[in-house]
Amino acid sequence: MIDLSEPRRQSPLAIVLLGLRAVRSLGVVQIGVALLFIVRGAADGRLVLVGFVVIAGFTGVSVLSWWRYTFRLVDGELLVTKGVLRNDRLTVGVGRIQSIAIEQELLHRLTGLVKVVIDTAGSAQSEFTIDAVERPVAEELLRRATEIGAARPTMGASDTATSEAAAATTERIVFQHTPHRLAVAALTMSPWAGLALLVPLVAVADQVLEPFGEELSDVAPDVDVNGLGWWLAPVVAVSAVVFVTILNLGRVFLSDWQLTLRTDDDTLRRTSGLLSLTSTTSSVDRVQVLTSRQNLLQRRAGLQDVQLSNAGAGDMRLIGCSDDEFATTATLAGLAHAGELALDRRVHPAEIWLRVRNTLVLAAAVAAVASLLVGWWALASLAVAMPVWWAIRRHVRNHRWSLGSEFATSSRVISSSTRQAVLRKTNAVRVTQTIFERRRGLASVQMVTAAGTVTVGMLPIEEANAVRDVILHGVEIDRRAWM
Amino acid sequence: MAEPFSNEPIDVEHLPELHADAFVRVDPRYVWGNLTGLAATTVVVVGVAAVIVVTSGNAVAPSVVAGGLVVGLAVVAVVLVLESRRLAYQLREHDVSLRSGVIRHRVETIPFSRIQHVSVGRGLIEQWLGLATLEVSSAGPDISVPGLSVADADRIKQVVAERAGVADEPGDGPDLGLDRATTDEPDDARRLPPPPWPAP
Repeated sequence: MIDLSEPRRQSPLAIVLLGLRAVRSLGVVQIGVALLFIVRGAADGRLVLVGFVVIAGFTGVSVLSWWRYTFRLVDGELLVTKGVLRNDRLTVGVGRIQSIAIEQELLHRLTGLVKVVIDTAGSAQSEFTIDAVERPVAEELLRRATEIGAARPTMGASDTATSEAAAATTERIVFQHTPHRLAVAALTMSPWAGLALLVPLVAVADQVLEPFGEELSDVAPDVDVNGLGWWLAPVVAVSAVVFVTILNLGRVFLSDWQLTLRTDDDTLRRTSGLLSLTSTTSSVDRVQVLTSRQNLLQRRAGLQDVQLSNAGAGDMRLIGCSDDEFATTATLAGLAHAGELALDRRVHPAEIWLRVRNTLVLAAAVAAVASLLVGWWALASLAVAMPVWWAIRRHVRNHRWSLGSEFATSSRVISSSTRQAVLRKTNAVRVTQTIFERRRGLASVQMVTAAGTVTVGMLPIEEANAVRDVILHGVEIDRRAWM
Repeated sequence: MAEPFSNEPIDVEHLPELHADAFVRVDPRYVWGNLTGLAATTVVVVGVAAVIVVTSGNAVAPSVVAGGLVVGLAVVAVVLVLESRRLAYQLREHDVSLRSGVIRHRVETIPFSRIQHVSVGRGLIEQWLGLATLEVSSAGPDISVPGLSVADADRIKQVVAERAGVADEPGDGPDLGLDRATTDEPDDARRLPPPPWPAP
């Protein structure tokens, strides 16, 4: 048993991490430019001296930050003191902790330490972070938080589970993705997220590409780039798609390697990562909204992306889930899976006219401006209304919603998605009417939870009001924990 | 001992309705507060334009820009007046609702059981007009009810805090007729109407 009642400091490795964080706060672009100055010899001695002073300053601040940062757990409260120039004391009731994530970045993995990210209600950001601590300490903190959180009903909870019962439950693996599954998931999802890996390069693209341009000029001085012709366009497009797909494959392997979902019935824990291991834990009660998305390729592969939106900052994204895995996850989160939902209600077809009209107005404006440049050809931009009409018509035809113990919607154009939340998770209900909707006696309903919104638009106003009243009634009659 | 949970089917015909005529409009002085701020902005815009005209000697461009801004501010004034007339709140046994919006009508309801915090704030103009703003916060969205008299704001805050269970020292609270809000309502038909188009 590790004693957490005495003030503890982080591992000295935290000094390095705090320093890196401070350096990162200067901005990647600024650091890159400074490095280029130094590498190219453009910096004189005074600038280098300033650099050393800055580094020394960051080091000093990091050491002081590490020294002043202590944490302890006393009487169900996590007490944190920190601050270099001022003394900050932070007290968080463990029962109010929304999620505790244990992560391992590259430096952590090399040293066997972990990072603990703690999130409480009422903040969109993580409440505080313990940058580097021994794994047993982190696991003891997680165990105690889970134990106290389960023992103490929070925010309307009526669960009477005891700490003994919580401790007795054992965690089991719900599913774990194999490398093959991850590869299929990466190849079937939209690859553009892979471009995120290139963002840091964009900042210094000119400096990076300049030497290549000079070499190309030396090797092939006769090549006229402008004369290569339009036929290069598809080659470039295909190459770009292949490139971002490979990048995305790398991104998925880095972030979702051995993606695993575990549960002890009261909590859900997601772990993944190749170089940086991330572990996010959240109680089942704090799951607010369940979203699943499936594009055309994923549908053929029988996979879908699932997201559990939790109160606080502990959202869980589970890529490449099979139908069974989705159903199990939904059940664990206290929700029905898509197959169980009776999505039998539809929205008003007026939505087709609204969206096509808006598209036409926009296209007409674009055509009017473009006609000054390209003449009558600009009218071709109005043709965009046809695919928009097709897509919206398909969307309206396939858009379903239902209201039972859950408020759920689903839509399907090319990609499909479902979004659902239990009525008792409601924090507010909105009924809104635009001018277009008012003229036709229609309205939209939004069920707002602590971690997202489920919206259905284009309903008859009487139906929208009835949905609101049913949701509010559901909140009052269901006294189970909602967060 | 926890209360056993049940979830039997209910007859939605008897669900209480949020009556449109039960909304209470905010104090008429609220619109004057908004218009005062707008008038101050207009004075600043015209003053700056006048200074530019005097110093530059070019009267056309600054006048056109200032005129456009004044027209825009006039439109905003009209919207503010209309919005003030539509702004209203409704307290029921279990929730608080706010009606707002001119172009986009909006009715937002927060159940008392989801309220995390309730407070009353007063800005400079509100202090001058004797008004206050009630802020109701939940873990999701917040509701802000401006244009309340100070006495009303404090009374509503007390009632909301007590019913939400966030008050430090719960008291009896004033009689705002909340108990009548739903119990005396007729049992209007509250059934989800059938959709006017064929089932899928």
